[in-house]
Amino acid sequence: MRIDRTHRAWAIAAFVMLAAAAIVYLSDTLNAPQGPRGGSVVGLLFGILGFGCVIFAALLGARKRVPTWRVGRAQAWMRGHLWLGLLALPTILFHAGFHFGGTLTRVLMWLLIITVASGAFGAALQHYIPRVLTAEVPLETIYDEIDHVRALLREEADRTVEAVCGDLGLAKSSTEGIERAGGFTALRPIAGAVALRTSAAVSAGASAAVAAARENIRLSQEEGAPLRIFYLNEMRQFLEYPGKHPHRLAHPATASSSFAALRTLLPGRAHGALADLEDICDEARQLARQERLHHWLHGWLLVHIPLSLALVLLGAVHAVMALRY
Amino acid sequence: MGGIHIPTLCHLQNQTPVGVCRLCVVDTGARVLSASCVRAVEPGMKVVTHSDKILHARKTLLELLMSDHPSPCARQEKSGDCELEGLAKAAGIAEARFAKRSIARGEDDSSLAIAVDHDACILCDRCIRGCDEVKDNFVLGRMGKGYSAGIAFDLNAPMGASTCISCGECMVSCPTGALTNKGPAGTAICAGQGTEIFEAEELLQIPVFRGVSGTFLELNRGAIVKRRFRKGEVICREGEFGSTAFYMVEGRAKVSLSAPIAHVKTQGGAKGFFKRLTSTLVGREEDRRGEETRDRTIPIDASVDLSYGNPVAELGPGDLFGEMTCMNFYPRSATVVAESDVVAYEMLRNVLDIMLKNKAFRAQLDETYRRRALENHLRGVPMFADLSPEFIGDLKERVELQGFAPGQVIVQQGDTADSFYLVRIGFVKVLENYPGGEMVLAYLSRGDYFGEIGLLGGGDRTATCTALDHVELVRIAGDDFRDMVAKFPSVRAGLEAVAAERRAANQQRLQRVDSVPIDQFLSQGLMEAQSLLVLDLQNCTRCDACVNACAEAHDGVTRLVRDGLRFEGYLVATSCRQCRDPLCMVGCPVGSIRRRNSLEVIIEDWCIGCGLCARNCPYGNINLHPFEVLSDDPQNPGRKKAVIKQKATSCDLCTHLKEPSCVYACPHDAAHRVDPKSFFAEMLGGSGAK
Amino acid sequence: MARTRTTKKLAQRIDLHYFKRPTPLKCAKLWLSFLVPLLALLWIVGRGVSSDHRVYSSGSLSRAHAVLDKECAACHVRQAGAFAAKAADNACLGCHDGPAHHASKIASPACAACHSEHRGRVSLAAASDQACATCHADLRNSRPDTRYASRIHSLPDGHPEFAALGRKAGDSATIELNHSIHMKPIRRGPNGVLVNLECGNCHRPAGVEADLTYSDASYRAATVSSNASDEMLALSAGSLRRPKPITGRELMAPVKFANACAACHLLTFDKRFDEGVPHDKPDLVHAFLLKKFEQYIAAHPNELRATPEPAQELGGKPIPTRFRALTVSQWVTERTAEAEELLWRKTCRQCHALTISRGSALPQVAAANVKTQWMPHARFDHDAHRGFSCVSCHAKALTSTEASDILLPGIAVCKTCHGRGPDHADSRCSECHTYHDWSKRREVTPKFMLPALATGGQ
Repeated sequence: MRIDRTHRAWAIAAFVMLAAAAIVYLSDTLNAPQGPRGGSVVGLLFGILGFGCVIFAALLGARKRVPTWRVGRAQAWMRGHLWLGLLALPTILFHAGFHFGGTLTRVLMWLLIITVASGAFGAALQHYIPRVLTAEVPLETIYDEIDHVRALLREEADRTVEAVCGDLGLAKSSTEGIERAGGFTALRPIAGAVALRTSAAVSAGASAAVAAARENIRLSQEEGAPLRIFYLNEMRQFLEYPGKHPHRLAHPATASSSFAALRTLLPGRAHGALADLEDICDEARQLARQERLHHWLHGWLLVHIPLSLALVLLGAVHAVMALRY
Repeated sequence: MGGIHIPTLCHLQNQTPVGVCRLCVVDTGARVLSASCVRAVEPGMKVVTHSDKILHARKTLLELLMSDHPSPCARQEKSGDCELEGLAKAAGIAEARFAKRSIARGEDDSSLAIAVDHDACILCDRCIRGCDEVKDNFVLGRMGKGYSAGIAFDLNAPMGASTCISCGECMVSCPTGALTNKGPAGTAICAGQGTEIFEAEELLQIPVFRGVSGTFLELNRGAIVKRRFRKGEVICREGEFGSTAFYMVEGRAKVSLSAPIAHVKTQGGAKGFFKRLTSTLVGREEDRRGEETRDRTIPIDASVDLSYGNPVAELGPGDLFGEMTCMNFYPRSATVVAESDVVAYEMLRNVLDIMLKNKAFRAQLDETYRRRALENHLRGVPMFADLSPEFIGDLKERVELQGFAPGQVIVQQGDTADSFYLVRIGFVKVLENYPGGEMVLAYLSRGDYFGEIGLLGGGDRTATCTALDHVELVRIAGDDFRDMVAKFPSVRAGLEAVAAERRAANQQRLQRVDSVPIDQFLSQGLMEAQSLLVLDLQNCTRCDACVNACAEAHDGVTRLVRDGLRFEGYLVATSCRQCRDPLCMVGCPVGSIRRRNSLEVIIEDWCIGCGLCARNCPYGNINLHPFEVLSDDPQNPGRKKAVIKQKATSCDLCTHLKEPSCVYACPHDAAHRVDPKSFFAEMLGGSGAK
Repeated sequence: MARTRTTKKLAQRIDLHYFKRPTPLKCAKLWLSFLVPLLALLWIVGRGVSSDHRVYSSGSLSRAHAVLDKECAACHVRQAGAFAAKAADNACLGCHDGPAHHASKIASPACAACHSEHRGRVSLAAASDQACATCHADLRNSRPDTRYASRIHSLPDGHPEFAALGRKAGDSATIELNHSIHMKPIRRGPNGVLVNLECGNCHRPAGVEADLTYSDASYRAATVSSNASDEMLALSAGSLRRPKPITGRELMAPVKFANACAACHLLTFDKRFDEGVPHDKPDLVHAFLLKKFEQYIAAHPNELRATPEPAQELGGKPIPTRFRALTVSQWVTERTAEAEELLWRKTCRQCHALTISRGSALPQVAAANVKTQWMPHARFDHDAHRGFSCVSCHAKALTSTEASDILLPGIAVCKTCHGRGPDHADSRCSECHTYHDWSKRREVTPKFMLPALATGGQ
């Protein structure tokens, strides 16, 4: 999400709390006989507040699991997570008097630092990457379905090439048994469309476009050879494993020059199919880009979440044991 | 007619009469004999249909025609029903006295389906009228003069190379063997036990087929079959897509809905706090929703409707069911099970089409409708709901049944309202035009009505009503109605109150709808939407929280998909848009998906889960949600078995919760349910008014 | 043939239940979210199973307790049945004695209030200034009748000037000494050589060999009233004693006449003798004088007829010729009186405060009253400062002319080096003061067994 004006209230509140905490801490440091200690009254207060912030931040995960419970908007929780989580670090530092202490407390402090740092890093990523995604991947789809969409692209490319070159002997896959959206029915596949007599504005574009009848553009063996070779040797592999090895088609400039070369080798009536293939390549490139960006956008959670859970666990252990001793 | 038979050659009951053949001449006391098909009747006219003069004229005519006729022509050979030769035989003409024409006009074998023998053509003009009026193809025309006059395809191209689409209408209309089919089309509705294919000669014996072209029946051999069902056999199942209609000849059948008469309700509110939100099927008793219609009857594609409380009815001989399925390929609306041994004709559309053109058949259909369904439909109109049986009985006699072709305008917005319409079958689009745009208010189907303003003598039509497909309406003329009200004055007050209500509702609706501004939106159909779910892509982290929330709120099946087309920096998610022109409503066989006054889409309890709305929605916003329901096990009578039934679902704006779950659950302030015009107002430049 | 994109086509690519399917990212997240806390839990449980509670320590132990690193139970004693195991005072008092600060019944803080463990390898005994300031920052609050400065926070903040310097009467010692003369180059030395006295010629730390540069061996040998045991000074510090054994070098030993003064300040009394009188009480001096004169006149009887030397007559009058015939006792008495006149009125009086009362012949010598410890409530260790030249702190000595001058440096001199910050000497209260009244120290029974310590109680 963008960290913008709407966060102002939270940011100001957090800053005010930080300032207040700093003042309390400083006065405690100066006056306490032992200096700042976690076990003193002020220290305990900071410890409880800090751990409270950590617990609230950790509860965000739980909140996301029950999205329909009316316990406050997810947005408010997210902002609270961000700002209170950030506040947890200085609060705990105040609690510890900036000492890292013994084994457990040292581990805890590092866990906290890494967690908050990774969280801040993640927030920055979430501020920046959606914009990049939106700008660079206009043909974005859902990340989880990229494999399937890629398979569909392959099939579409197969069909396009086969319409021009004849059967390539490629296997046709079927994806039965999966409930696809967009008119899913559990009991029967959707039959062909009935002509709808509707208002022009809607028919203009909203309905599933009926493609104009494809003209027969079958090329002869030799005429279609360049395309067949190109497709079987290069493009199909690219569509299957776009990231496998550096590929000509992985870069827009080299891809367009490949296709330009193909256009010179193939007769004019195949150029329509070539344009489609180029489009498909472009879409495949965009999907690969989306995958990478998505990994960046979500990868940091692999650090943030497990460490935060360990933090909560060990923090509870520390709270109990420190009070015990 | 009245037992007097006037022979015709160029006259066909569903074509405009042209008076070409002159066989139907009668003596009206004028200077010459008048062709009775075109001569208008005047008061005081004396018509002599059979006199020596007339008979002589007819006979000579027939002889002249027979002299050029290549007897026996192809039709006479194949199905024995060449009309010319039949008439000639009846008139006692054995041999023509006149010489055959010298110029042979030739044959045309180029078409794949139809054989053309120009020599057998008597230039009756039926084929041309069939191609023009009935089928709107305008392929046939006349060419030449004198002896070389004949019919031509396009600019006298061979039939196979013309724009002829081989629909067969010309062949069906042709009285002679000039246009015959080359072979049976090989239609097979279904094979198997209990199916008997009719031969053309057999069919011609059946009353409703009298007058139907034998060549047509031959072509469509197999397009109508006689089916025998044993007691207990299922004749058709609701929700299946089919293309045939059934005409009951013997026996009785039970028609019912096996889908649960319930709508999908998701538990929400406080109850949902500790439990996962589950969806269940609940009926009207448990959950009353606003603006539900049809308190009493569920409209189905048969001559009778089902009642809400007990959706079971009986069909007997003379009942036609599956008309909509056959004519428009909508899904079957109900399940029909034979209660005794049943004999029925199953037919395809082309055959049903022919049958419907038959006056006797139509009369029978109308009578059945009047007897069995009309009253229920009338009572379904709020204005008539509480009227006394005598009033209704009187009203029933005054109704007129009218048929409309696809695309035909029934009433135009702005016309003076003078009749009331009730839909017997088919879909009517109600379109309202207002400054800057238009909006489809509803798609009316069987049992719906419109135009009640006209009955009380008030105002102009507020919307244009067009027939979308094969539509039949019940019309009550305003004058008739007013006469009746004069006879039953007590009802007037009640009626006026209802009418006033309707007028007020219309006004309100008009005010609610805004103008449609910008073209940009049209390409995605966004202006058609009244409520869009947009995801701000700059904020969205693609975390699927919205989808999870939607699924959580709807028993694990999401009604929102995070893919679709983009507009500016927003993703327009796949989720019901409450369209102005709700395509989903077209074709619902039981009329269960409709729009409330608040413009929200509601799916009524009797959705049979056929999936047509899901198919029709151009954005893919409707999915069918499966439920397990206990129903009677046909193999083990008396026991129940769990079967999967489906109900159509789409985004319901989470009305059972305070606000849409997706918006509530988005942690990044990226999901918004918006009115597209106001939301994108700045982007579209100004307030949007044209 | 162009590719078309419509919402429905896009939607139809998507599996309705995609978000429920596991993806590598989600799987990894799930697994890690289990594994990492599990590891943490196992670690803690492992530590618990092996009863190794060091992991909960909030810092390493102080230098003194480092040996107890493995023996948490030495201090964290678990009461029967309770979960808590705080280190209470009785744990400390098991080995240490911390006698109370005051006899009065002001509530004593817990040991941990000032001495907090687990702060790393620091000195545990050194309590922080804030600990002291708990009471001393506002002393009148707890002891309204206190005579001490009431708002002391730390050395730089509120610490009063040394009380000794505040005495108007000055040094109460009765020995007259003008330091500034002694610090200048002095012409007259015993050998006539220019002597340049340094501080160390007279002042040495107690317990250290005296500098005998200006000593007189004959006086050193005298045992009369020169008590060698003075060399080892037991500190009497009022009510506060140090817990640790003293080196003895902390304070300067009192300056002894025999060691420092005798070489220049001769106690000669008569021309007839080279030696001086013993540096001792007046009656002993008198006895010595008598004895000496008796011995002399016995050896030199002709002196009985003493002709007064004209040089000795200082009156300026014509010298009558006379001889006097004296008896031995007369002569001795005369001579003694003359010597005593010299001594009492000049020689001894040069340094001592003598009072000659009418009644007796012998004067009263005031007790020297030389203070060796000027700061009763603090300890000062000269040995720790041995690197500094004496005058760098005791600069007053160079200019001090009066014996009443107190040459103790003011607190400002100490603050030159002792202050806050890394480039200063330690300025904590504990640097100079102690809290516990070690005069009341009790012995503690040692309780640790070596094997237990080495194995951490296993």
